[in-house]
Amino acid sequence: MSRPRLQLAGFALALVLGLATTGCRDLSQATGDPGKLRVGIVFDSGGKDDRSFNAAAFRGVQQAAKDFPIVLRDAEPGDPASLEPAMRAFAEVGYDLVIGIGFAQTPIVEAVAKDYPKVNFAIVDGVSSLPNVASLIFKEHEGSYLVGMIAAHTSKTGKIGFVGGMDVPLIHKFQVGYEEGARAVNPEIQVIQNYVGVTEAAWNNPGKGKELAVAQIGKGADVLFAAAGNSGLGVFDAVEQLDKLVIGVDSNQNWVKPGHVLTSMVKRVDNAVYQIIGDLVNRRFQGGIHVYGLPDGGIGYAMDQYNEKLISPLVIQDVEAAKAKIIRGEITVTDAMAQ
Amino acid sequence: MSILLILLASAVRQATPLLLAALGGLYSERSGVINIALEGLMLAGAFTAASVTHYSGSPWLGLAAGIAAGVLVALVHGVACIRFKADQVVSGTAINILFLGVPALLSGALFQSTGATPQVPQEQLLPIAPIVLAFLLVPVTWYVLNRTPFGLRLRAVGENPEAADTAGVNVARVRLAAVLLSGALAAIGGAYLSIGQSSLFARNMTAGRGFIALAALIFGKWRPVQTMLACLLFGFAEALAIQMEGVSQVPVQFIQIVPYVLTIIVLAGFIGHSRAPRALGVPYQEKR
Repeated sequence: MSRPRLQLAGFALALVLGLATTGCRDLSQATGDPGKLRVGIVFDSGGKDDRSFNAAAFRGVQQAAKDFPIVLRDAEPGDPASLEPAMRAFAEVGYDLVIGIGFAQTPIVEAVAKDYPKVNFAIVDGVSSLPNVASLIFKEHEGSYLVGMIAAHTSKTGKIGFVGGMDVPLIHKFQVGYEEGARAVNPEIQVIQNYVGVTEAAWNNPGKGKELAVAQIGKGADVLFAAAGNSGLGVFDAVEQLDKLVIGVDSNQNWVKPGHVLTSMVKRVDNAVYQIIGDLVNRRFQGGIHVYGLPDGGIGYAMDQYNEKLISPLVIQDVEAAKAKIIRGEITVTDAMAQ
Repeated sequence: MSILLILLASAVRQATPLLLAALGGLYSERSGVINIALEGLMLAGAFTAASVTHYSGSPWLGLAAGIAAGVLVALVHGVACIRFKADQVVSGTAINILFLGVPALLSGALFQSTGATPQVPQEQLLPIAPIVLAFLLVPVTWYVLNRTPFGLRLRAVGENPEAADTAGVNVARVRLAAVLLSGALAAIGGAYLSIGQSSLFARNMTAGRGFIALAALIFGKWRPVQTMLACLLFGFAEALAIQMEGVSQVPVQFIQIVPYVLTIIVLAGFIGHSRAPRALGVPYQEKR
């Protein structure tokens, strides 16, 4: 290898290493403040500004940092391969609680939690049986059932759409619940479903999200449920352009395109991470499974000034009745992940 | 609209960013400089275009800024490869990796985000102009390449730089011009993604389109019309996969490999031997 080539190879290597470690750049400063509990959070590939799932988690930890005397640091690994180093870095310097956001981090949390049994961990959307891991899971299928009902009540064409992000069991849970809810209102309804992709990149591909939405609308769908992170924003663009309706996900997304967002299937990841940090602060952190659903408001559908004109009170009545039945166990929504 | 029309429109929209990047790559590679950095150049263009459009409210200004960013990044690649005779693949890879990180860094400073820009309102998007431009550029590129002195020099330095040098052509200058041009075109392709097709920049939103463009270029034998057909084929396969996915019972994983399987079949069976420019990837040492 000639010298300039070597230099350049060295430059590229330095660059790769530099980027690989950006996820943990704040750790050195965090070792101060010995009296405070230290909480680290590792986001998934959508990034904390996805206006949806990660954004909800970020709101929760920010609120916790305001209300409790904790030191909070976050890491946003750019690619799945740097999730584990980021998480290990928090555990290694003795953080009190490390939170992993997203199902993809489940095996990573398990591996790291085994190596650091004194550190508390929490995983959102994943289940671990280790005693020092709190598994925060949601009954997304039940909330999706309710928005599926709203979609079926609202659709004029008898066709509705579902755009999922990555094709994984967790998102099937949304899809199956949505379909069942829609069928409960209109047994004849046709649900067109698409997934953006089968890799992590599926959460960050709004161009593809929009194409899928345009195709579904072309087939007659007039209400689309987008559970696709940043790719979902492409679905929002498509319904605005073609004057249809979209249902947002995880965060309340009703404000994103007012008048075109029918409702949002909210998943209060913010409340869940806030509570687990609160438990830590109050010395009552517990491992095991923590389930959030309709009764505790961990799952729901968003009504506010942006969509109150889009949904009639009669529809709300019907949906609220179904909600009560689900809570009482009179309606059972299929959990696609439990199968 | 009939299903066929929807399919074709979708194919054209999805071919557009590929075509712009591939035409950019064509200029660079026909001059003898490998441009594996198309992905990074697209990301640079996409991020800059969305950011400037957000601040100025003008997508045209955003597009211009995106082009400027693409040219600037291409300048780094050009100087590294031409002036310092660096390994072209390594330099291109470095740029690709760099632009996984740079938008995240800048969006943090500008928008308190980590890799995304705010959404641009619908009326400030350019959904059509880049498509028209991309397909107009095909005959233009053919003409430049085959009927102008610049095109002749470009092909000469890519095939036989010694001969071109002997004939008085400034090899370094022609190659640098070609690389800058490729930066501009790839950046327009990126800008189409962020302020044309969608309305925001999301981290790594090109999702490999720069590499597919590169494949289309090789597949199109480094010729503009064939490259366009290759891009359309990829776009059509994508559009077909989208249409099939919702209705058929075939698992989504199978449908999503359709574009790639189609590529392999066509590459292996139908296009015959694809010959690269002879001096591609070889830095040129002036004989003076």
